[in-house]
Amino acid sequence: MELFLQTLINGLLMAGVYALVATGLALSLGVVGIVNFAHGEFLMVGAYLSYLLYAAQGVDPLLSLGLAFLAAFLVGALAYWGLIRPVLRAPELNQMLLTFGLSILLQNLALLLFGADTRVVAPPYQAATLAIGPFFLGAVPLGAFFLSLSLLLALYLFLTRAPLGLAMRAVAQNRLAPGLLGIEAERVYLLAFGLAAALAGVAGVMLSVMLYASPTVGFLFTLKSFAIVALAGLGNLRGVIPAALVLALAEALVSTYVPGGGGLVEAVFFLVLFLALVGRAWRWG
Amino acid sequence: MRGAVLFLLVFALLPFLPLGVWRAYLLDAGVFMLLYTALALSWDLVARTGQLSLAHGAFFGLGAYGVGLLVPHVGTLPALVLGSLLAGCFALLLGSVTLRLHGLYFAIASLAFSEVLRTLALKLPFTGGPIGLAVPPAFGGGVPLAPYYLAFAVLAVAVGLSLWAERGPFRLAQAACRQSEPVARVLGVRVVRVKLLSLLLGSLVAGLAGGVYAMKALFINPYEAFSLGRAVEALVIPIFGGLYTTLGPLLGGVVLVGLEQVLRLWIQEGYLVVYGAILILVILFLPRGLLGLLGRRRG
Repeated sequence: MELFLQTLINGLLMAGVYALVATGLALSLGVVGIVNFAHGEFLMVGAYLSYLLYAAQGVDPLLSLGLAFLAAFLVGALAYWGLIRPVLRAPELNQMLLTFGLSILLQNLALLLFGADTRVVAPPYQAATLAIGPFFLGAVPLGAFFLSLSLLLALYLFLTRAPLGLAMRAVAQNRLAPGLLGIEAERVYLLAFGLAAALAGVAGVMLSVMLYASPTVGFLFTLKSFAIVALAGLGNLRGVIPAALVLALAEALVSTYVPGGGGLVEAVFFLVLFLALVGRAWRWG
Repeated sequence: MRGAVLFLLVFALLPFLPLGVWRAYLLDAGVFMLLYTALALSWDLVARTGQLSLAHGAFFGLGAYGVGLLVPHVGTLPALVLGSLLAGCFALLLGSVTLRLHGLYFAIASLAFSEVLRTLALKLPFTGGPIGLAVPPAFGGGVPLAPYYLAFAVLAVAVGLSLWAERGPFRLAQAACRQSEPVARVLGVRVVRVKLLSLLLGSLVAGLAGGVYAMKALFINPYEAFSLGRAVEALVIPIFGGLYTTLGPLLGGVVLVGLEQVLRLWIQEGYLVVYGAILILVILFLPRGLLGLLGRRRG
C-alpha cells in the first residue's frame, strides 16, 4: 500500500512538468495552428543553457529559470518569424515537414556541439528529500511541480484577464473576425509561439536537474506532449492537466509494477496516444 | 516516365560496365543507393495523399528484422515477402486507426510508432536486444551480386508502383485527397481507402527494402534498423528531388545518397544536420524540389 501511494506521488509530481511542456505545444497548435515537432528542442535549449551556466559560472538553476524563459522566448519568436510565418498558408504537409526539419537540425546541432553524453546539473540541493511519514518527496521534483502549477495558473490568468490573452483566445477561435476588431493576428501568433517556447525552456531547466540535458531529451518530450494533447483534444488547454496526470501516473505505475519496466516506461506514451486515437476514430468514424 | 526508365537502365547496366578499380566500390555503394531511393519512392507514394509518414524508418526496420528472423527457416525470397508483409500488417493497423482522423494525427502517431518499435526491439526476448541480430547472406552467399540485383528489383517494383499510381484514376484520387479531403469526398473518392491503400503499398516496398538491407549489412541492431535517420532520409530525398513525382525521388536519391557517402567521412555523428538544413531550405525556397528548378511541370 505504501509502495502504491509512493508511486502515485511520484507520478503526480512528474505530471506538473508534463503539463507545462504539453500546454506550450497545445498553445502553438491551438492559436497558431502549427504542428510543432520542434517543441521539445526549445526544452533542450533551456536544459543546455542551464547546464552551460552552471558548468561555466556556477549559476544556480533557480536563476537560470528566468534566463531560459527569455532565451527560449527569443528562439521561439525567431523561429516563428523566420520559418513558420512564410508557410502559414502552405499545405499542412509542408508545415509539418518544416518543423520536423527544424527539430532534426537543432537535435543534431546539439549533438555536434556537445556530443551524445547526458549532462546533469547537480546543485547542492539536488538530492535533498523531505520525509513525510513513510513517504519521500524529492525537493527538486516538488519545487518543479509547484513552479509548473504556478506558471500554468499565471497563463490561465493571462488568457482570461489580460487584453492580449483575450486576443490570443479570439485568434484561436476565429481567423478572420479578430482582424475586424483591430487585432493583429501575426503579432498574436508571434507572442503565442514565443510563449509556448518559453514554457518549454523553463521546463528544460527543471529537467536539467531532475533528469539530464542531452541532444534527444527534448524529442521524447515532444512525443509525450503530443500524446497528452491528443488525449486532451486539440487546442483544449484545460484538458491538458488531467491528460498529463493520466500519462504520468501510467508511467509511474508501469515502472513500479511491471517487471523489467525500466525500459518499457518509454513505450507507455504510445499506448496512451494509440488508445486516445482509437477512441477518437471510433467516436467520429 | 522516360526519365525513370533511363535511371533503371543505368542501374541495370552498372555491373556490366568496364569500371576497373571502381567497380567493387560502386556496386557496393549502389546497393544502398538503390535501397534508399526505393524507400524514398515508397514515402512519396504515401505523401501523394497529403499524409506525412514518419514511420518509414520503422517499416524498413520491420522488414529487416522480419528477414533476419525468418531467413534461416524459410529461405531468401519467402523471407523477403514475409518481412514485407509484416511491415504491411503494422501499417494497416496504424493506418486504420489514424487515417480516419485529421492528417496531423497520422504524422504524430507514425513518429511515435517508430520510436516505440525501437524500444520494443530492445526489450523483446527474440530480437537479440541491444546487441542485435546476425543475418545470413542472400541465397547462402553463393551469388556475389545477389544483394545488388535484389536491391535493383526492389527499386524496379517501387518505380513500377509509382508509375502505375501516376496515371489513371488513382492519381486523381490521390491528388484530390491531398488537396482537399471534403471536396474529394463530395467527388465520390473513398478517401480513407485511398489513403490506406497508398500506405499499404508504401509500407510493403519499405519492408522489402529493409529486408534486402538486412541481407546486405549481415547484422542489424535496433538503433540501426529503427533509426530516426532512416525516416528523415526517406522524406528528404523526395522533397529535395521533387514531391509527387517518380523522377524526383530518383534524382534526389542519387544526389543525396552520393553526398552522404562523402559527408560521412567528415562528420560521423550528426550528419543529419545537413538533412535538417536541406529540409528547411527546400520547403522555404524550393517547394517543387530539383525538378521544379529544372522547369518541368508535373503532378
